[in-house]
Amino acid sequence: MDRGVGNIAEDATKRVALVALFVGIAAIATGYAAAFNPRGTPTWAPWLLAIGIPVALVAVMILGAARGRRGIGTLKIPFAFVALVLVIGFGAALALPATEGPLSTLWLGLPARAAIVIYGVGLLPIIVLPVAYALTFETQTLNAEDVALVRALGRENQAARESAGAAPRDNELEA
Amino acid sequence: MIQNTHMSTLLQVAMPSAARPAVVAIGILYFAVVLTISVWAARKTRTARDFFVAGKGIGLVALTVASVSVSVSGFAFIGGPGFIYAVGLGAMYIVLPAAVTNVMGAWVLAKRMRLLGEARSLITIPDAIGARYRSRVAQGLSAVAILFGIVGYMATNALAMGVVINSIFGVGLGWGIWIGMGVTLAYSASGGILAGIYNDVFQGTLMALASVLVFLFVLKFGGGLGEISRTILAHDVAFLGPWGKLTPLAALSFFFVFSMGSLGQPQAVHKYYMLRDPLQLKWYPLLKTLGLVLVLLLYFSVGVGVKAFVLSGRLAPLASPDQATPALLLNVTPIILAALVFSGVAAATMSAANSFINIGAAVVTHDLPVAFGRRVKNELLWGRAVTVLIAIAAAITAQQSGAMVAFLGIFGWGLFASTLVPALAVGLNWQGATRAGAMASIATGLIVTLALETAAYRKAFTFPAGVTASAVAMVSSFLVFFIVSWLTRRGAPSEIDPDVRLVMEL
Repeated sequence: MDRGVGNIAEDATKRVALVALFVGIAAIATGYAAAFNPRGTPTWAPWLLAIGIPVALVAVMILGAARGRRGIGTLKIPFAFVALVLVIGFGAALALPATEGPLSTLWLGLPARAAIVIYGVGLLPIIVLPVAYALTFETQTLNAEDVALVRALGRENQAARESAGAAPRDNELEA
Repeated sequence: MIQNTHMSTLLQVAMPSAARPAVVAIGILYFAVVLTISVWAARKTRTARDFFVAGKGIGLVALTVASVSVSVSGFAFIGGPGFIYAVGLGAMYIVLPAAVTNVMGAWVLAKRMRLLGEARSLITIPDAIGARYRSRVAQGLSAVAILFGIVGYMATNALAMGVVINSIFGVGLGWGIWIGMGVTLAYSASGGILAGIYNDVFQGTLMALASVLVFLFVLKFGGGLGEISRTILAHDVAFLGPWGKLTPLAALSFFFVFSMGSLGQPQAVHKYYMLRDPLQLKWYPLLKTLGLVLVLLLYFSVGVGVKAFVLSGRLAPLASPDQATPALLLNVTPIILAALVFSGVAAATMSAANSFINIGAAVVTHDLPVAFGRRVKNELLWGRAVTVLIAIAAAITAQQSGAMVAFLGIFGWGLFASTLVPALAVGLNWQGATRAGAMASIATGLIVTLALETAAYRKAFTFPAGVTASAVAMVSSFLVFFIVSWLTRRGAPSEIDPDVRLVMEL
């Protein structure tokens, strides 16, 4: 692994993700704090959650997915897509007028605003994220070389423990 | 909290008796399969590692189905549909996060937990925290937090088992608790997590089958989702609004707590250690998400369907929202489907109880001794002994007042989320996180959750609409984690062992 260049890119990606995570959590905290207003929850408070939640969730995913010089590579597309889907879904539910009624047009069996939330927020990420995870798994997450590296490390650790006279970690019983 | 809502509602309203010959027969068959699996697993359990993390590991499909099984619990079958019936689509914000939580967990935790297990032979979540921060105190604190959460979950699961078994066999609540806990104990103590996993596979399959069949039945009986929606819109427009009858803040708050909070649920996170081949993680999020969608079909369809059937007069008005599933099953669906679902509910509560018993036993026999610099000489033997003690304690606690048991169950999800998410999920991905930050965050989550839940329980304090103790505790824990880590950042690099650093950089 090219540690020098890799770490610089990783640091930049992770730094951005950490800042975004902090900002997202701070926005959510502010939304909750606003709800304690004795005159009632301000109308902007749910907007802080509607934006802060997608930002925090995608930020934590980027933090987990970022790797070396690649950063998040092509994952930036599915991550951006999911962030947009969540923000637009929650935003539409907040912003669109309540027009539901017995004669409403139904989208796949549900009124428009409900359909945006159930099918958009609830189903669209399912189609995109796990597939993106699988397609980028070897390059972005884990490959046989990584596993071999860690297994070798595990054997070294085990040998070190045994030479130090430590009890086996799993306390194996005699069969 | 998914479970807690279910449990607390079960405490208030007993399920109606379902003791019909077909239900009893399928119930007996269900228990026979569980016991058969347990005997097989007991023969394969020889070491503490077998007992706590299934020895050499579990295959992808088995682990996925097992993970689905412990993730949803009985709430998906009883409390959830009842919650939708009561508040409309706002209740969906509890399950909508499933669209992102599994893959989020895979990116943030699965690889690093699995590789840490490989490098260090770790078997518990506090183990991972102890290794990450090179701190026995952090490991001990997280173990204490998990133990607090488990006390609540176990008592409520024991009670839920009693309610369901009483409903199926008509044996009385007290006997229902002891029978349910006895069977769970039998396979937990003998076969450990191996029995738990393979019983979860059976139970998860049963739950998915029951859920899909009920979903299809409801759509057919209701004339399709469009007809169901039209019926509801003619009587109760707010029900199908995007927030249902909840405030936007409350619905979004559910989404936050159940999405971000999922990264701290030990019953799901612990499973990452068990995958036989780390490279099989590639398909884990996709399979688990699809499995969850199948199991949650009942949640949505029964909640919405029963509302329409009651409004159109095809079903009598319910005595309480939690009667939604039992009323549909006992009055509308074929009895064989009712039998499947009732066994599915028993399966769900037992799989959750088994998982928590196993994690609790690991905390007591492994993590707490390690925190004090000691090691139990025979973790397998003591693991089995503590399993028995936890199960008996849970069964006894479940016999106590319903209000007290409900209180114990309320804070489980939030406590796990607020104490573990920052220190574990963020900490394993950020080398700048410090030992002091992790300990402060875990302590904050523990104290804030217990203080706020106790104050709310004693009615000393009322939250504004949409704000929950779980949410406040989680954001507090996050902020403390960031601030303390930043203030103590100078020592951060030296706090990470080289092998742990490698796992964090891969």
